[in-house]
Amino acid sequence: MSSSEYALEVDRLAVSFDTYGGVVQAVRDVSFKLRKGRTLAIVGESGCGKSVTMQSIMGLIPMPPGRITQGSARLNGDELLGISQKALNAIRGNRVGMIFQDPMSSLNPTMTIGRQIAETLVVHRGLSTSAARKEVLELLRLVQIPEAEKRIDQYPFEFSGGMLQRVMIAMAIACKPEVLIADEPTTALDVTIQAQILNLLKDLQERYGLSIILITHDLGVVARMAHDVAVMYAGQVVEAGSVDDIFYRSAHPYTLGLRAAMPSNDPEKRTLRIIPGSPPDLFAPPPGCAFAARCPHAMRLCHEHAPPLYGTGHIARCWLHHPQAPESPVRGNIATLTEPAC
Amino acid sequence: MLSYILKRLGIGVFTIWFIATATFTAMHMVPGDPLSNERGTNEIIRANLERQYGLDKPVFQQYLLYMGNMLKGDFGIAFSEENRSVNDIIREHFPVSATLGLLSLLFATAGGVLWGALAALYRNRLPDAVLMFLVILGISVPSFVFAALSQLLILNLNQWAGRSILPVAGWGDFRSMLVPALVLGMSTMAFMTRLMRSSMLEVANTDYIRTARAKGLSPTRIFFRHQLRNAILPVITVLGPAIAIITTGGFVVESVFAIPGLGRYFVQAVAQLDYTVIMGTTVFFGAFLVLVVIAVDILYGFIDPRIRLGAV
Repeated sequence: MSSSEYALEVDRLAVSFDTYGGVVQAVRDVSFKLRKGRTLAIVGESGCGKSVTMQSIMGLIPMPPGRITQGSARLNGDELLGISQKALNAIRGNRVGMIFQDPMSSLNPTMTIGRQIAETLVVHRGLSTSAARKEVLELLRLVQIPEAEKRIDQYPFEFSGGMLQRVMIAMAIACKPEVLIADEPTTALDVTIQAQILNLLKDLQERYGLSIILITHDLGVVARMAHDVAVMYAGQVVEAGSVDDIFYRSAHPYTLGLRAAMPSNDPEKRTLRIIPGSPPDLFAPPPGCAFAARCPHAMRLCHEHAPPLYGTGHIARCWLHHPQAPESPVRGNIATLTEPAC
Repeated sequence: MLSYILKRLGIGVFTIWFIATATFTAMHMVPGDPLSNERGTNEIIRANLERQYGLDKPVFQQYLLYMGNMLKGDFGIAFSEENRSVNDIIREHFPVSATLGLLSLLFATAGGVLWGALAALYRNRLPDAVLMFLVILGISVPSFVFAALSQLLILNLNQWAGRSILPVAGWGDFRSMLVPALVLGMSTMAFMTRLMRSSMLEVANTDYIRTARAKGLSPTRIFFRHQLRNAILPVITVLGPAIAIITTGGFVVESVFAIPGLGRYFVQAVAQLDYTVIMGTTVFFGAFLVLVVIAVDILYGFIDPRIRLGAV
């Protein structure tokens, strides 16, 4: 039974935005599964649709102009797409917690952090103000904010960025959610604070069996946190698999490019490797593979026909896995070199 | 906070001194004096009058004399009215102007916040379009047109009802204050509506509203607990200037509705070059505005903790 194994299942999701310039197909046929108690990292460069994917599932994109054109998303078996605003509000903050990129601007500047955290408990669990306050103190200690009794009555501007992200985490986990969505939680923080926040998330996961979706563009964060990875490019999942699959058996040239672009400590490799070119225009995505224009292994076929998903478990959207494809660095990295299922 | 208030008060005193000096200088640079309107005066009478009012002294000495009296709280005797001190004029007529002004400010702020929030809520839909059209009317139509039109309306209303529902002019109970206050506050209300609308839309797009939605709060709760308070901040900052516009602009509305306010003296005195009344009303209005602006800043601190606790 799938609903016992997965906390969140997203199936063939597509999201577009109606703008004056035309229709932007921001998310095109995205599927992934989040295993219970594990971390799924969604990786990709800016504008590849990773945040839009999660925000559309949670009903946080403005509609219109946003539009979910197809797909389903099930939270422990319960459909999230197309349900009423009220039903969604009962899930947000309660069964799904979210933290965002910039903790400085993600908290209301004119409300004490204690009241902002308590609000979740009051709304979803019907706690009284005093009971909520006790609970908030516990939460602040849980996310390791020193002097919780003093800090609870302070305003966001009295906190540092790292402390505010702890506040955001406390707010997100207040109702013991089934899934925690962390949208680039460490991007706005400096490196030492980044490590502390990641450790905190890991610690909470071990303690409460949290299932986490981690949206990031930082492969270092992925290596540290993730159990499973989905690599997104131009609104599609181009490769997905376990973290070892992605790092040691990369099956898509884009993933290879990302890995090569990671800065290293090696003094021999002084220059930063980049992937030449830029992502395609999502007003009119190319008919073939979206990455073909930047791909060092692209064949004529790649420009004309969109590749199917190859593999099971570890999957990749690339023609190089076709049995008749020429030799390439990704060949053989997917266990089954058979005709695709779909 | 206390040292902040004291500092503001200190600057306020300086501001008032500056207003008084500037007015005094400008007043004496205008050709003529309060006595030039007097008919049938010959040289001797004129010289006597000048001596009586101290106008024969050098200007700088007059300045020192006047400032000294002002410090004692004495604004002098009005030239244009017999045996009436400027203090009396202010004491008698300012409460009327202040009541009218504060009432219209109340209308303007409450209306501006309400209509602005509504327009933002119905953004780009019919209520928004209607409100924004009315806002342009409110800003561009001068208050004497509104005043005259509203009198006509009251007249027709009273005729239709067969009795006096609202007085057409005059000053007395609350019914007579209602329409003049509304007319006086109209342009400020229109301006505040615009400000509130854009401020609401700006706040609606902030990250912390997204956080509030991600927390699963209902739209009503987000609106009242998170959006409104933050959106009102810019409206509060224009309260100070708005009070200046309303109190000094009260003259037109006061004269159309025959309201015995201070505005009439404020304007007439300039036309007649009535030195003491000009100085008295200007310095008094100036001091009043300085105090009000300080009060608004303190109020701002109450709403925005970042200012109260000295972060910005």
